Amino acid sequence: MTKDLLYVGLTYPVHDAWQKVTGELVYGSDIQLPGMLYAKLLLSPIPHGMVTSIDSSAAEALPGVVKVFSHLNSPADVYCRARLTPEQELCPRDETLFSEHVRFVGDRVAAVVATSQAIAEAAMTLIDVEYEELPALFTPEEAQRRDDLPLHPGGNVFFEHEEECGRSAESRDAVVVSSTTTTPRIHHAALEPHVCVVQPHSTGGLTIWSTSQGVYGARTVVADLLGLDYHRVRVIKAPMGGSFGGKTEYILEPVTAFMAQKTRRPVKLLLDREECMIATMVRPATASTIRTACSPQGQLEDMEVATVLDAGAYASSTSDYAVHMCQKITKLYRVPHYHHRSRAVYTNTPVAGAARGWGAPEIVTALEIHMDNVAGELGIDPVDLRLMNLRHPFEVDQVTGMSLGDARVRECLERGAAAFDWSTRRGRAPGSGRFRRGVGVACGAHKNGMFGKFAEASNMTLKMNEDGTFELGASLHDPGCGIVTVMKVIVAEVLGVSPDLVAAGEADTSSTPFDYGTFGSRVTYVVGACAKATAEKLKEEIVTAAADLLHEPRERLTVERGEVHVQDDGQRGVAFRDIARLSQMRHSPAITASVTYYATSNPASYSVQFAEVEVDCATGLTAVTDFLAVGDVGQAINRGMVHAQFQGAVQMGIGYALYEHMDVDEAGRSGVDGFKNYHVVNAPDMPDIHVLLVEHSGDDGPFGAKSVGEIATVPTAAAVINAVNHALGTSLSDLPATPERVLAALHLEEVEGG
Amino acid sequence: MRLSLIVNGMEHELDVRPTARLIDVLRLDLGLTGVKEGCSEGECGACTVIVDDKAVNSCLVLAGQMRGKKVLTVEGLADDDGLDTLQRMFIEHGAVQCGFCTPGMLMSAKALLLADPHPSEEAIRLALAGNLCRCTGYATIVAAVRAASEQPAEAAPPPPATGRDGKAV
Repeated sequence: MTKDLLYVGLTYPVHDAWQKVTGELVYGSDIQLPGMLYAKLLLSPIPHGMVTSIDSSAAEALPGVVKVFSHLNSPADVYCRARLTPEQELCPRDETLFSEHVRFVGDRVAAVVATSQAIAEAAMTLIDVEYEELPALFTPEEAQRRDDLPLHPGGNVFFEHEEECGRSAESRDAVVVSSTTTTPRIHHAALEPHVCVVQPHSTGGLTIWSTSQGVYGARTVVADLLGLDYHRVRVIKAPMGGSFGGKTEYILEPVTAFMAQKTRRPVKLLLDREECMIATMVRPATASTIRTACSPQGQLEDMEVATVLDAGAYASSTSDYAVHMCQKITKLYRVPHYHHRSRAVYTNTPVAGAARGWGAPEIVTALEIHMDNVAGELGIDPVDLRLMNLRHPFEVDQVTGMSLGDARVRECLERGAAAFDWSTRRGRAPGSGRFRRGVGVACGAHKNGMFGKFAEASNMTLKMNEDGTFELGASLHDPGCGIVTVMKVIVAEVLGVSPDLVAAGEADTSSTPFDYGTFGSRVTYVVGACAKATAEKLKEEIVTAAADLLHEPRERLTVERGEVHVQDDGQRGVAFRDIARLSQMRHSPAITASVTYYATSNPASYSVQFAEVEVDCATGLTAVTDFLAVGDVGQAINRGMVHAQFQGAVQMGIGYALYEHMDVDEAGRSGVDGFKNYHVVNAPDMPDIHVLLVEHSGDDGPFGAKSVGEIATVPTAAAVINAVNHALGTSLSDLPATPERVLAALHLEEVEGG
Repeated sequence: MRLSLIVNGMEHELDVRPTARLIDVLRLDLGLTGVKEGCSEGECGACTVIVDDKAVNSCLVLAGQMRGKKVLTVEGLADDDGLDTLQRMFIEHGAVQCGFCTPGMLMSAKALLLADPHPSEEAIRLALAGNLCRCTGYATIVAAVRAASEQPAEAAPPPPATGRDGKAV
């Protein structure tokens, strides 16, 4: 792989940075249309029950109120908000636009549509709803016990998955360690609240501005639910203020589309922060029990894992999440026999679903806390234990049957340990006073797209304008991390022109070709590879046109920095802009290329992270004081943004480890209703995050690039928790490690440790 | 009620509801949608504007309280000579990702630099403590503010010719 790159690997701002620093960019929540109405949802105040009556007369009498919707005047058809394609599996249809049977505090009961947001909000409070309460189940343990109280037909355990491979190598002198780790329900905390705007057309069609991560899926869900032809539902990806998975699924699109269709007016549904927290989607709470047997030297011989996911009130994508939690551990470690059972359980709590890492942060947190327990049991260094068991490049993951590709997790660990000065720092005594220091390490693995599951592909069109500039037609969905820029840089590199000369935009079902969207760590690896293949095909078209203009055989032509040259004749050549202009009326009205690119591999991406913490034993507060994130990313396309992905992902992981959780009380109410009681790590709390990239370019991604956005947050929480346990001599494994839990663990340690 | 206020150097005479918040007037009446609303309770800082040289959460004050005051929003940062130094540094240092926190970050940083042109890193982080970002981990934002504080007040250098993306088309 040549590293002789012109543009790939440099640093670029996100494509719309200028519009963002000037306030010019129109986000989804900024959209205003003539005649637009505003919707306000009425959410269930009870965790479980039946709506027995709805009196909306007072609300409807309020001037400016156009309509009140509820289950009384909306379809009872069930749908799955997470469905992308008509035939997709693992999409239980269990949700309706408005619920008669409410299943969590936050379930949609009704909505007011009015001429202003203020009127809609005032009218919402005038709707009188009566409920017949049912017993509620707030934990998967309760829900599994109460077969007599199914939240949906079919029972509370709605999905189970199992992976088993290999034969146990458990020896007679094996050291057996078991541990259970729980991870919390958390809020994605994208800064822009969820929003959807829908304009109905007199033809019966709809235009939807969606701040989601896949417009074609929004079209599928809305069109199927409302009985519309697909070509009548146009979905435009609107600029969005972050997602982190929280806007992957079609939460607001169906209900907003329905209300716009019925009122025949544009409708905007913009949630407030509390609604985003309780009524959209959360990262699922999980509990994983891991039992390993290993040789006294530390070689893994057998691993048994059981995971329970709290799906909340509706299935959403939790079934697929449960599958993927069984597909991470064998990407990291050689395990002779691996058996993993996972199950997804309904509870009367907020709906769980897609979240950055798609199960990997959850299971890797459990795995890597467990590995430290094993290292402690054996009395060996956590780095040494991992090196003994980590995967080597090009091994096959026995669970998926696919090659792990140029898997460089060992190099990440070795280089990271050296850069962090691991041995010295781990060897230091944590101290015995009020403030204690510790260091921790964790490894993580994730994937690169969805090859192996279904036909993983993307398609694009690239055209050259008559002035030598380029326009990429692709269904891109940029949550804000710079996807559009990545595509521009890839195209620019192939063509040898500045990225400034390449335009790319975001998805619009009416004008950009089919693509699944931004998830599954597929964008750089698959969509980026498609951009590269499309640019390569266009380059061939340019050479063909140049050959005609220069009267030379193609074989004698070379392309360099925006020109086609005749080999061995430094004088003769023609610039791209001249090729486009001159060939237009000779043989080609427009030089374009369209490519459907099929992925044929799905290697692993890795990150190894090192944390240093200082714990205040008087208050239980933990401060992360130093952090190193190492990433096996293949090749950075936009180097600065790859570093920034790690910095932001570590911020999120620190919150996951220490602060963030959304528990429900005995009335089913979330303990959080805003950022005042949900702590997102802020600037003074953040340590410096050092980033080290391992770039071998050995896989099929564009210029060897692999995924980064999800893997970057996978091992963070475990590294932090392992550092806390090192500092205190504890074995904390319930996240987050709040001050209360830290103090309780310290107390336990003092009692047990004498 | 009648309200007179100066926003981005321009005087406005408005008729507003007594309960209207400053953010409502800026976004809805004046169309200044660069002022973002992320939490409506003064915790996220996305709605930060500068009122008489001080950073203010525009979701927490009533428009009526702004009578006769000078309000600066992100739309007023750039002038005829181009972007403010902070805006340029945010772009150059990769401090912008999803960008929803960016206007508030810029205004908090601007208020800091107005009061303290050469702040320490700790002072920068404290000044941004009320502005949440979920994308960046703050490193690039802090670097951008530091870089802006180190720029000479005049003679802004042109952006580098390569290694930077062009203006979006």
